[in-house]
Amino acid sequence: MPRITIHIKSGQNNWSVEVDNGATIAELKEAISGVSDIAAGNQRLIYSGKILKDAETVDSYKIQDGHSVHMVKSGGNAGGNAGGNAGAKAPAAETAATAAAGSAEAVPSNLAAGQTSGYNPLADLTGARYAGLHNLPSADMFGPDGGLNRSQSAQNQEMMEMMENPMFQSQMQEMLGNPQMVDFLIQQNPQLRAMGPQARQMLSSPMFRQMMSDPRTIRESMQMMNSMNDAGLDPSTAFPAPGSAAPSAGTSAGAATPTAGAPAGAPAANPFASLFGGGLQQPQFNPELLASMLGTNPPAPAAADTRPPEERYESQLRQLNDMGFFDFDRNVAALRRAGGSVQGALDALLNGNV
Amino acid sequence: MSSLKRITKELNDLGRDPPTSCSAGPVGDDVYHWQASIMGPPDSPYAGGVFFLSIHFPTDYPFKPPKISFTTKIYHPNINANGNICLDILKDQWSPALTISKVLLSICSLLTDANPDDPLVPEIAHLYKTDRSKYEATAREWTKKYAI
Repeated sequence: MPRITIHIKSGQNNWSVEVDNGATIAELKEAISGVSDIAAGNQRLIYSGKILKDAETVDSYKIQDGHSVHMVKSGGNAGGNAGGNAGAKAPAAETAATAAAGSAEAVPSNLAAGQTSGYNPLADLTGARYAGLHNLPSADMFGPDGGLNRSQSAQNQEMMEMMENPMFQSQMQEMLGNPQMVDFLIQQNPQLRAMGPQARQMLSSPMFRQMMSDPRTIRESMQMMNSMNDAGLDPSTAFPAPGSAAPSAGTSAGAATPTAGAPAGAPAANPFASLFGGGLQQPQFNPELLASMLGTNPPAPAAADTRPPEERYESQLRQLNDMGFFDFDRNVAALRRAGGSVQGALDALLNGNV
Repeated sequence: MSSLKRITKELNDLGRDPPTSCSAGPVGDDVYHWQASIMGPPDSPYAGGVFFLSIHFPTDYPFKPPKISFTTKIYHPNINANGNICLDILKDQWSPALTISKVLLSICSLLTDANPDDPLVPEIAHLYKTDRSKYEATAREWTKKYAI
């Protein structure tokens, strides 16, 4: 009978014993008690998810040389004590947590109140937290003629792409969550200033924030704007007063199609005008406001990818490595074949097609 | 049969270097049906107990999660009387990069830190939140009764 070495794991303890392949589990336990001082009767051995029975042999459980067997001591009461301690500790931890939460609430949340005059929202754009976060406008934003002839629908398309970008959404959330920024927005706009504290309340309300960052809401309001456009109405006066003359709307739609984000910034573009035109109950979203507030542009269209494979497939390669495929060349070949899909690459790797 | 290769690989890794508190292997000749055992974590009311689980691999493993349930009765907010486990990585958070070994370790840590905010057994979760020492006493009692 060949002799094999079996590693015994029990909590923090590790032992190794050498036994005959055909030895019974009872004999194995005796061998373990020799090195561990734990009586054979107090040992429970576990291998491959099974409790090993004394009468069976090492061979019958297919325990192989160098494999590990778990041991649990029975008859001891170590477990009971440990559990008791944990029970005593838990309430104390809870009290501490409650106390911490209480003190956090006592700190005023609007630290920036009354400090708006000198605030420059662009000042910290160079800060590290904006690194990689901000899309700087490119010429592509405005087209070859500086945006004069861009169709409204194309701009909307870009805006939608931008809105779907999670990075943009978090940026938006962050901006509206910053009381300084909100104050600045209010300061910049006479109409908002006139509204007083209500303006801040509204801008920082979760509902408004949700609206500004929810692509669905924005898509809906854009569709509404488009349909107004088609009807020959100027979208910036989305809800004309009942008495206002229709002809003027027709001309203004032709001449002053809003150029979202254009650097000149039409002087008439009072971004909040249409927002508050209908009263405060349900402000309508205005995408131009968004664009003029941000001056950002949607991501440039993806150029043909010429990066080396380790860069292009970085995350996929990492996943494949995690799964235990370390052959770089095969991984890349499989990913290429699967068009970058990890699942496809795995199939190819496992079927040996690469 | 890519799943077969992957399962065999996991079995080899588990035999050679199993996690400290878990062990798993095929029940019989069917490699898609395993059993596993978890030793109750020492810092939990399950300490000293050995809990058995059954594991069924889908044929499209690892792209679908394995089905894992306790066969030993256990008193826990996220494990019900049928042994079903409420754990995100066994459902929507499954990833092919996970292995049985990692899943078992996650279940171990679930034993130490239950998640009473997403309970499978609301009564136990309620007790866990309101009277922790009573919950621990019951869990210890069950462990003694069914797992030792």
